[in-house]
Amino acid sequence: MVEHVLRVREVGVDYRTPAGAVTAVSDVSLDVPARGLTVLAGPSGSGKSTLLRVLSLVERPTRGAVELRGRGTARLSSRARRELRRRDVALVFQHPADNLIGHLDVGDNLRAAAQAAGRVAPVDEVLERLGLPGTAWWKVSAMSGGQQQRLAFGCALARQAGVVLADEPTSQLDTASADLVLETLADLARGGVPVVVASHDPRLIALADTRFDLRNGALVA
Amino acid sequence: MQIPWRAAPRAALSSPLTLLVSVVTALLLSFVVAAAVMHSAASGSAAIDYQQDRLCTEALHPSLEATGVPHEHVPGMVRAIEESVPDRAPLIGTYLREQRVDFGGRPTDAKFGYRPGATDRLKVLEGGSKDGLWVPRSIAETTDLRLGERGMGGRLPPVTAIYADILDPLPGWWCSERHFVVPNVLDRDELATAVVWLPSAESFAALPPEIAGLTDVTVRFPADPPGTVDEAAALLAEGTARIAPLQQHFNRTISLLDLPVDNARQTVTNVRSAVLPLTLISLLIGLAGVATVTVQWAQRRERELRLLWVRGAGPFALGGRGVLELGLPLVLGGAAGLGTARLLLPWYAPSDRLPPGTVTTAALAVVVVVALSLVVAFATGALRTHRMFQVAQRGNRLRKVLAALPWELATAALAVWAWNRVQHSGLATTPRIGALPRIDAAALAFPLLVVLTAALLAARVARWALAASHRVRLWSKPAAQLAIRRLAAGAGPVTGVLLVGVLAVGTIAVGAAISGSQRTALEVKSGMYTGANSYVQIPAGVTELPEALRGNSTIVGFVKQYERAALVVDPRTFGDGAFPSEVDPALLAQPLRVGDVPRGEVRLPGLPPIEPDAWVPSLPKLGRSGWVVPVDRIGDRRDVGSWYVWSSKPLGEVTEALSAAGVKLSRNVGEKEKAVQGLPFLTIQWTFGFVAALGAVLAVVASIALLLAVEVRRRQNALSGAFSTRMGLGPAAMLRSHLVELGAVAAAAVVVGLAASAVSSGVTVPKLDPAPRLTPAPEVPDVLPLLVTTVVGSVLVVLVAAWIAVRAVRSARIGELIRG
Repeated sequence: MVEHVLRVREVGVDYRTPAGAVTAVSDVSLDVPARGLTVLAGPSGSGKSTLLRVLSLVERPTRGAVELRGRGTARLSSRARRELRRRDVALVFQHPADNLIGHLDVGDNLRAAAQAAGRVAPVDEVLERLGLPGTAWWKVSAMSGGQQQRLAFGCALARQAGVVLADEPTSQLDTASADLVLETLADLARGGVPVVVASHDPRLIALADTRFDLRNGALVA
Repeated sequence: MQIPWRAAPRAALSSPLTLLVSVVTALLLSFVVAAAVMHSAASGSAAIDYQQDRLCTEALHPSLEATGVPHEHVPGMVRAIEESVPDRAPLIGTYLREQRVDFGGRPTDAKFGYRPGATDRLKVLEGGSKDGLWVPRSIAETTDLRLGERGMGGRLPPVTAIYADILDPLPGWWCSERHFVVPNVLDRDELATAVVWLPSAESFAALPPEIAGLTDVTVRFPADPPGTVDEAAALLAEGTARIAPLQQHFNRTISLLDLPVDNARQTVTNVRSAVLPLTLISLLIGLAGVATVTVQWAQRRERELRLLWVRGAGPFALGGRGVLELGLPLVLGGAAGLGTARLLLPWYAPSDRLPPGTVTTAALAVVVVVALSLVVAFATGALRTHRMFQVAQRGNRLRKVLAALPWELATAALAVWAWNRVQHSGLATTPRIGALPRIDAAALAFPLLVVLTAALLAARVARWALAASHRVRLWSKPAAQLAIRRLAAGAGPVTGVLLVGVLAVGTIAVGAAISGSQRTALEVKSGMYTGANSYVQIPAGVTELPEALRGNSTIVGFVKQYERAALVVDPRTFGDGAFPSEVDPALLAQPLRVGDVPRGEVRLPGLPPIEPDAWVPSLPKLGRSGWVVPVDRIGDRRDVGSWYVWSSKPLGEVTEALSAAGVKLSRNVGEKEKAVQGLPFLTIQWTFGFVAALGAVLAVVASIALLLAVEVRRRQNALSGAFSTRMGLGPAAMLRSHLVELGAVAAAAVVVGLAASAVSSGVTVPKLDPAPRLTPAPEVPDVLPLLVTTVVGSVLVVLVAAWIAVRAVRSARIGELIRG
């Protein structure tokens, strides 16, 4: 049994800009537990979203190593990284609409998410768990932002991903909607799925089982 | 297939604009390719059509002629012919030679003939019963012959009709028999006569032995005129096989379609190779359009694509997602393009008759093009998503490399090479008499390469200028300053529209100029060659024109000795009948040197010695070499080689008028339209006519691209317009600003396109001369109407685009403006 779903060693991310190289993440090392809710906390520009993209295998770090369930990803080809993402990773974006396919209904969004991972979605069961029963045939645009974001986590659930990562999942929502999303997150974490969230929402940070604080791209003690 | 891919075709409906643009792009793309296939095939049909207009319809099928057949052998020969070609009834004409015949009145020569159906195609003046002799008016008047009279002491059938002599130009049924039915009076004087027609083959066989001498026999096989090269080739092959067993009995085989079929095939090859370069360029532009549509699709679907990518889909799968969404519109557009090309065929092609299989070939070409479009959409989608997600931070190296490559230098080098071909080979030489010159496609590509170079250069200069435009400070004229900033912000689309716009205007202008120059050159060269619209040789004694020809005709004498030629003209009437030329009528009252003949005294047979002081550069018939003598300097008109009536009237009216006035005519007649083999001119005209049509398609592409570019940045226009309005920019200034912005692009396209085409066609037109031995050389036609049309069209497009832009500002909703 792997204790840590993700292990990060000396990871740094630099970007080239017209003004020269900018370091977004600076030599971060951390271990993400295989259970519970892990929060990457920090103010805007602290590098938490960049680090989350690296953790979700969406972006290659400039240097350092990332292990997913004990498997090193640094030397993996793009194809192999895609394969890992397909089977093991679910990423939830900040904007609710970015996580769903607008021209598919709610049920098909769940089915599409599961299909991508080679699985079959128990649509009604997932919707029930999300508190959205009977909405399978709804158009995505008919849902509120909070419902859409919960559905996004539902998609992650339907994928049965090994780890769920989310970037500021409550930042675009009103308080009531954000509360519902927080419930969903807590529910996911309780269900045994490791969840990694980048956020500066104090309520979300308060739910964290594990917390890493970032400032200017570096971890702070 | 996973759900997002399976649902992709339905997802296309969520963006009607992308759907429409995809359909239109594929439509134009496949139209260009299908039209190129159909146009070149149709040019073969047009070439056949043009050539058979100059041939005798009844002799298009290979035919036979025998001369000097003993009269008693004719019935057996006719029977044998009919039996050996049972599948197609031959039309057999039998003509005796001229004989002195006693019709009872003044002695006359006459020739007897029989051709089934002849009496159905004559103009009856008296009588009309078909059971007796049909006598031409010329003989009836000479011998004072009347209906019912029987010649040769009653041994000939009675005269039952008097008909009007057959005159040039002959209708189709008579055309092949011209040699036998139109007497060449001037050649053989009074001996030559028109034909006295017998009512039947039996009556022809039963003619009294003293007039039944040697007989000329013609065997024709009337056939429907072929409409296409394949039909003509089939008629020729079939006819050749049919007459082969009969040939040994005949001393002439006439196979008029031999050369036309070769010429038509050469025309197809010429046109196809000549339109190929621009078709390929248009194809590339069209495929670039497909790539642009796909890029826009990828931008619009970025959220979904990113989601699928995060979930593990690779660039190829995402490229496939694009094909599934854009594929159906592209296929539908391709089919619509094929249909449009077929429907508009009469509009852009020289003939609407296509050889069998052409539409299939065009459809195959469209299938290939649509497949290419799908490949481009797939590759663009895959590359775009690869760049958007997989290598997002690395920068667009490929685009930078492509933009940095000096494409215009490459096309300029090609243009220089093509110019070299124009200079050294041009249209090349004809392989045999009457055949077409082999047109050098590389030479014909020269003007297009110049236009393409100008377009690429204009696009590069525009890109540089827009990159440097941030230095421009025109805030005292905010409309202009904002226009420049908007242009700079949309540098990519702007240079793209400019490139296609220059290409469109340039190709339209080049196409119109060169095709127009060839049309005019054929007209003028033909006129200069014949001297008039129509001419008829007349006896030297005719000095007065019939009433019907006064004011539109003139009498001209022509003398030729070796390469030296002179005209004897009537200064008063020369301008009435001669092909319009720029000669001052007063000059014609004195002897003239024409063109490059040397000074000094000249002596020509039948003319007094002349030593002209006056000079003109050219004159109809003489071209740029010869002399002119006023008719009042001539002593005896009979000493002059030959005399003609030159007329601006059609040939039929001239022969009719002269015949009615009792003037004896010869077979030496002609018309301007049929004097010069016009196919080489027409080939170039058709080729560049199609170039102009492709230019029109490109103009549509440029216009749509401009309108779309404005519509696509609707929100930016609305935002910037709203801000500018808050800052005090009035509605009129805003409209002015958009007019300046869009007008600058359109004006640059028009100016550069017209300038490039003026230069390239200006130097090319005189070189593209299929008949350099005939004067004058082709000239660029008046381009003012084209200029006006282009400017008006551009202004309309700019007005519509500006209206769309201003409407975007006025109709923008608050929610739209504050959306993140």
